[in-house]
Amino acid sequence: MHPVLDSYLPLFIYALLALAIPASMIALSFVLSTRPSRRTRARTLPFESGVSTGPPPQQRLSVKFYLIAMLFLVFDIEVVFLYPIATMIGDIGWFAVAEFGFFLAMLVVPLVYVWKRGALE
Amino acid sequence: MDGTALNQPWWIDLLKAAVVINVFLGVVAYATLIERKLLGRMQLRYGPNRAGPFGLLQPIADLVKMVRKEAFAPAAAADLLYIVSPLVAAFTALTSFALIPWGPVWSIGGYDVTGWVADVPIGLILLFALGSLGIYGFIVGGWASGSKYSLLGTMRTCAQMVSYEVSLALSVLGVVLMAGSLSLVDIAVRQQETVWFAGPQFIGFLVFFVAGVAETNRAPFDLPEAESELVAGYLTEYSGMRWGLFQLAEYANVVMLSGLTVTLFFGGWGGPGLPGPIWFAIKLACVLFVMIWIRATLPRLRYDQLMRFGWKVLLPVATLNALVTAILVVAV
Repeated sequence: MHPVLDSYLPLFIYALLALAIPASMIALSFVLSTRPSRRTRARTLPFESGVSTGPPPQQRLSVKFYLIAMLFLVFDIEVVFLYPIATMIGDIGWFAVAEFGFFLAMLVVPLVYVWKRGALE
Repeated sequence: MDGTALNQPWWIDLLKAAVVINVFLGVVAYATLIERKLLGRMQLRYGPNRAGPFGLLQPIADLVKMVRKEAFAPAAAADLLYIVSPLVAAFTALTSFALIPWGPVWSIGGYDVTGWVADVPIGLILLFALGSLGIYGFIVGGWASGSKYSLLGTMRTCAQMVSYEVSLALSVLGVVLMAGSLSLVDIAVRQQETVWFAGPQFIGFLVFFVAGVAETNRAPFDLPEAESELVAGYLTEYSGMRWGLFQLAEYANVVMLSGLTVTLFFGGWGGPGLPGPIWFAIKLACVLFVMIWIRATLPRLRYDQLMRFGWKVLLPVATLNALVTAILVVAV
């Protein structure tokens, strides 16, 4: 096998176990669980303090959270691009530091922008 | 490690994976007991002490109770997603521990047994990727419950984890710069050769720890399940074993984060005298204790304070830390 893929083999073995154990717990809970004999409508309604009005209608999510998600995408992708430079920086030297600083500046500029536009409130 | 041929056949991997995941599950189960005990002591009460001596059988009693509970789904829930999402959360939380090294390489009977389950060249990125995937478990679970409290809790979880993930990834950049590698084993070995990164990377460590506590949704950042306003957040409609799996995922993340803190900032398994895994366990227990201590001490933040802190304090500090580290690494 390819040496790089080789290092992933134990991870796959482990991941299979990590999938099997919770799955078996869920399966066991179906087998072992006790079922009450009486099923009433009130039990299946969503939790509500006060009067239960039945399942909520399909709700729309507020735009604020989309904004956060988009900010996350921008910043996190930039950070991921920084990692490869970070591992090589000792070998390349000052040129890499300049690149690194430039990339960080690209991260700071949108941060200042969204800050001033009030998207972080 | 890089390219050094280890004589480690697949059945050792299998054996080790089976042992490690079970030990990890045991540690996670007892982390719940330790947390309840410590919180109890810090609030001048005993904590659970009925099941077995000193309440030591409490996690087992809890497990039996949860398995025996009715596998119940509310009428409004999207059935398949409702059942699968705790599985996703537990799976990603358990898998990420595979990447954390807890000991050196031993030679036993001609075979090399490594003190880690898997060492991949992009370990750190993979760890963050698994963490991000784990959020899906919470989002889908909260959405599929079909309850307004779940939905609100889900949106909060999503926004919070996503905000702090950026700071978390940036704060680790300093460590990557100093170690020159993304492999967690390399990072731990580098610290044992030089100095624990908690010293030179102290600011990075602080940002990492705070963002990590927020990332695992623990107090004072436990807004997603703030019981006084949201009942239980994304967990509201869950019960029995599925609730248990979400709980397992949360504590697995806490233990994993403690392990990651030890690996990135406190030299991994390195230490004088005692064998590696014991040092690792001692350090992990210390970090875990601090996390529980924080929970017992600090009150919960308000939601807007939380978001502001993440974006306007942690992110700039982490950026500055990365830049200064980059300059110092090349200059010195």
